[in-house]
Amino acid sequence: MARYGMLINTKKCIGCYACRVACQRQNKLLSDEAFIRYEEKETGAYPEVGVETVPLQCMHCEDAPCVSVCPTGAAYKGADGIVGVDHGRCIGCKYCMAACPYQVRVHNHETGTVDKCRFCTVSAAETGTKMSTCVEACLTGARLFGDLDDPDSDISKAIVSDNAQPIAGSLTKAKIFYVR
Amino acid sequence: MSFEPIWGAIIAWYLFLAGLGGGAFATSAFLGWKHPEAVNMRRIAHIIAPVVVIIGLLLLMVDAEGGLHNPLRFALLLTNFGSVMTWGVVFLAGFVVIALVAVLLDFLKRSIPVWLDIVGTVFAVCVAIYTGVLLGVCKTFPLWNNALLPILFLVSAMSAGAAAVLLVSVFRHADEFNMVGVLKKFHFCFPIIEIVLLASLMFITSFNSDAGWNSVMSLLVGEHAPLFWIGLVAVGLVIPTVLETWLLFFSPKEFEESRKAHYLSAASDVGVLVGGFLLRYLIVIAALPVTIVVPML
Repeated sequence: MARYGMLINTKKCIGCYACRVACQRQNKLLSDEAFIRYEEKETGAYPEVGVETVPLQCMHCEDAPCVSVCPTGAAYKGADGIVGVDHGRCIGCKYCMAACPYQVRVHNHETGTVDKCRFCTVSAAETGTKMSTCVEACLTGARLFGDLDDPDSDISKAIVSDNAQPIAGSLTKAKIFYVR
Repeated sequence: MSFEPIWGAIIAWYLFLAGLGGGAFATSAFLGWKHPEAVNMRRIAHIIAPVVVIIGLLLLMVDAEGGLHNPLRFALLLTNFGSVMTWGVVFLAGFVVIALVAVLLDFLKRSIPVWLDIVGTVFAVCVAIYTGVLLGVCKTFPLWNNALLPILFLVSAMSAGAAAVLLVSVFRHADEFNMVGVLKKFHFCFPIIEIVLLASLMFITSFNSDAGWNSVMSLLVGEHAPLFWIGLVAVGLVIPTVLETWLLFFSPKEFEESRKAHYLSAASDVGVLVGGFLLRYLIVIAALPVTIVVPML
């Protein structure tokens, strides 16, 4: 079984938000519902300063706090390690949103339920799109998607060569790796 | 950048009312033990306990829109026993049943067995502590993620429960109100313990992380400062303590049982209730998340 993960190279990210728009289109999200959010961090010291844009989305953690706090079992981890939301079980208590250290779960105002990045499993099943639209949409190739368990996959090689790390160390054993 | 709190006033009301109900039941059990003559006050406490908790639960269901649109989903709340919320549902369900049985026994003019008081109080304490643990397990928010919060909420719950019972009693059964000295002394201590716990919580949290520091500062000097200092500290904690100190220890005995003293006592109890709500509200909305770029004041 594959263990899917993603790599995001913030050195390549230009902060154009194309990944977010592509994701909203692909997953037919509400206009105020986005699975990707951005944090901007000032770097360097005057006069050599810059702004680092860090795209954040569900990290599909192996120790997923959302799954452990969800009282109804709506938040679950699938066999492929992808953290999902069973919308038929979600009561919208937002406990998962509070428990997520990355603040990447969003509330859908129409259904009252909570949603988040699916690593595009839904679109892959419905429309046959290759997994992860945000990866395809990225203009600068800042994103990679693949199997972390396959040592020959592009993502596995890139994680090693670029020394990519999860955003918050070993917290929750996140499966999105950042080059920063 | 700014941060929009995930939970707001509705959840704060729920946390407050759940604690208040637990505190009211514990107060009734305490009255049965130390002041068995205060029969009517016990009845008042028995009615307050389930009513406020049920109102709180209704608020919770209104806030959980996904369940509100599909009420059958609420049955799924008992599926993940690794979740604090699931345990909360168990405690709340048990508590409401016990509290309603107490109301029924009062209505039938039957005495309430001691074991029911004890079991009910255990559930009441579980409910009050659970409201703190619910927030406490979220590593995201340093202001919540510490072991003092459940204790603070427990003390505040007992304080608010006793205040609600005393507040109704002073108007409905002043004769009994004048007799329950031991309860009043316990009730007097709670806000003082709360001040110590709250100060400790904020002091430790401010050293814990940037998010902790910013959360505490938003209460002390930031956007929540007016509500914190005037509402919680002054109205909710200091004024009740000052009023009760004077009434219990310094005012002449004949004044203590006068109508004027009753109004002062009622004012103190209203203050405690306002403080109890604001404590939850401020803790809920002032918590900032541990993110890469921590939101500033």
